[in-house]
Amino acid sequence: MSMRTSRRSVLRAGIGALAVAVTGGCATGGGAKKPAKSLNAQAQVTGSITVWSWDVAAKALKRLAPAFEQQHPGVKVNVVDIGYDNAYDKITIGLKSGAGLPDVLQVEGQKMQSYIGTFPSGFYDLSTLAGPLKSQFNAAAWATGTDAGGKVYALPWDIGPCGVFCRTDIFQQAGVDPGSIQTWDDYIAAGVQIKARTGKKLLVVDPTGDSTFPMLLQQEGQGYFVDGKIAVSTPAAVKAMTVMKELNDKGLVDYEKGWDALVSSNKDGNVATAPTAVWWSGTLTDEMPELKGKFSVIPLPAFTSGGVRTSNNGGSLLNISSQSKNSATAWAFIQFVLANSDNQVSMLKNEGIFPAFVPALSDPYITGPQDYYGGQTTFKTFADLAKDIAPVEYTGDYSKASDLVTTATSAVMQGGKDPKSTLDSTAQQIAAATNRQIAQ
Amino acid sequence: MATATTAPHRGSARFVRGRTRPRIRVVHWAFAGPAAALFIVFFAYPLGASLYQSFTNDDGGTQTWAGLAQYRRMLHDPVFWKSLYNTGLLLIFQVPLMIGIALVLACVLNQSWLRFKGTWRIAFFLPSVTMLVAYAVVFRVLLKTDGGMVNQALGWFGVSPVDWLNNPVWARVSLIGTITWRWTGYNAVILLAGLQSIHREQYEAAAIDGAGAVTTFRKIVVPQLRPVILFCSITSTIGTLQLFDENFVLTKGGPDNATMTPVLYLYKVGFDQMDFSYASAIAWAVVLIIGVLSVIQFRFFGQSENTARDARKVSSGRRRR
Repeated sequence: MSMRTSRRSVLRAGIGALAVAVTGGCATGGGAKKPAKSLNAQAQVTGSITVWSWDVAAKALKRLAPAFEQQHPGVKVNVVDIGYDNAYDKITIGLKSGAGLPDVLQVEGQKMQSYIGTFPSGFYDLSTLAGPLKSQFNAAAWATGTDAGGKVYALPWDIGPCGVFCRTDIFQQAGVDPGSIQTWDDYIAAGVQIKARTGKKLLVVDPTGDSTFPMLLQQEGQGYFVDGKIAVSTPAAVKAMTVMKELNDKGLVDYEKGWDALVSSNKDGNVATAPTAVWWSGTLTDEMPELKGKFSVIPLPAFTSGGVRTSNNGGSLLNISSQSKNSATAWAFIQFVLANSDNQVSMLKNEGIFPAFVPALSDPYITGPQDYYGGQTTFKTFADLAKDIAPVEYTGDYSKASDLVTTATSAVMQGGKDPKSTLDSTAQQIAAATNRQIAQ
Repeated sequence: MATATTAPHRGSARFVRGRTRPRIRVVHWAFAGPAAALFIVFFAYPLGASLYQSFTNDDGGTQTWAGLAQYRRMLHDPVFWKSLYNTGLLLIFQVPLMIGIALVLACVLNQSWLRFKGTWRIAFFLPSVTMLVAYAVVFRVLLKTDGGMVNQALGWFGVSPVDWLNNPVWARVSLIGTITWRWTGYNAVILLAGLQSIHREQYEAAAIDGAGAVTTFRKIVVPQLRPVILFCSITSTIGTLQLFDENFVLTKGGPDNATMTPVLYLYKVGFDQMDFSYASAIAWAVVLIIGVLSVIQFRFFGQSENTARDARKVSSGRRRR
């Protein structure tokens, strides 16, 4: 017994170091920067490709793959749903070790910026083939797939204009009219009334991976970086964090860890609203068909009356991993799925994925009334909001900043810390991690 | 006992080697080779590579030599220090609590009047081999603030709901509770093995001298078990310093880093922040701390040789019942 135990504890002693070492040891880097591979436009579209995606996005690709295979006889597309919660661990390990990645990868915009910064040779350079398509994609989404020099590494898939999804039955029960909410102060006041009358909380926050604070910040027109400097302790950031603190202090937040818990809390009707992006609609229709007719959408509350009423949250891209041996087919598939109005609209119809491909936005389906939302023109609301999305700066250090800001959010909301001093200290930690200056 | 079993074996090996030395060499390597190759590829090389990486800086996909910069950064990193502080709290509160409960549990499991012994032992040991995912789901259901089973049970006694996972203090309490649940039975089984090597005559002698259960426990059981208790303390200390599973599934280090531990932090730095150089440096700092603490523990008790031997004796000890 003890021999086995001690051997195991020796093994365990090394595991911490190993976890990093295995991925770090076989790093692709180490020497000079390798340029990204370029696509061969002449190569034949043939053979099979594998695509990594997750949730409703994977579902959409699986649905569209047969049509692509029909267009190109002999081609096989394998779509693998790798699940959101571990997706980036898998992709990061693949990029770091230089092995194990499929041909095509789904990556969200801000994460794509981190990957371009950290693993510039991990993806095919799509500039020559994708470049001409630039004018047809939403500008804010396009920026997330390119580097500072304008090189294109990924084609935008969807965009996440934000609004507030309201449970109309809960609002009615509490005697609150969603349409009367104009500012974040109104939103909090509505939450207090809803809680008093129905006992329901206002929104779900995942303290281990919060997306509400960055959404508020982008609504104010900035990201974590401005002109290359760290901007997480600016007056705008403190203002956004103060809203988060107030939501918590009034007891309006249901804390849930992980995607599944977040979805089920909404499904179970624990909360009255979900201030998030349009893609949430896909989760609603997919996982909560029984709640049809019980949601309405309002634009995000403004910080000051008359201010910007939207932001962006998420939105993915498709890129080609430089480990792909079949880049021509991979590119053909990406183009087939994303740069095509019919397919983009079909993904909104079936999976709730909102197109970053601008020509698709004038489709009657998007401008018309929505059955699930009791006949409201919900998607038109989002299509109009999408134009107001402020493009923000992510940089290759986004992941570092994001993780530290998540910790700050938890410190303020759950630890009762002061927003200003917490964000000041977060800015210093990001500075230590990135050698960037702090914006004043 | 150790010398009695190993001596003849040693002799026969020398005898064989003397006769057919070269062939045995080949056979030795045939047996040891695969294991050695696996060790080098999957253990020695990554360890060396991570040590090298901890002295570099990862900048835009390029690794550059950075000397001790990552280690200097660690000295001024509040999260790293907080993770060490949290570990210290666990070492002070959780480890003694767990060993204490394990000891009592082992004594009860060792009683001759207890029926279904095997079932009890398995039941207490099971948590330590539970699948992480099942463990995570169960505890999140138990500890949910609204409608969690623990809060429901407390509600029957008029206690208002406790925010188990979202309040820094209660999150630490939850973490201590879950670690204790998972590892107490494991330690109890090791202590039980130690208990079974205590001669029955000693209990009888104590009983004849008029010692009650408490006196027997204090004067016979604890002193005799000292090396085994030390062994459990050291493995638990190492386990605490490497804590990852429990706080990863429950809180991911939050709220406000209240349950952050060094190994979870290095995971976050590596995989969430993609800063592998700094993560490697943290990993090696943890290795260093474990090494130093283990040496201190052995020195403090001043009998490292005895402890190792006694622990081994316990493991091979015959069950006396």
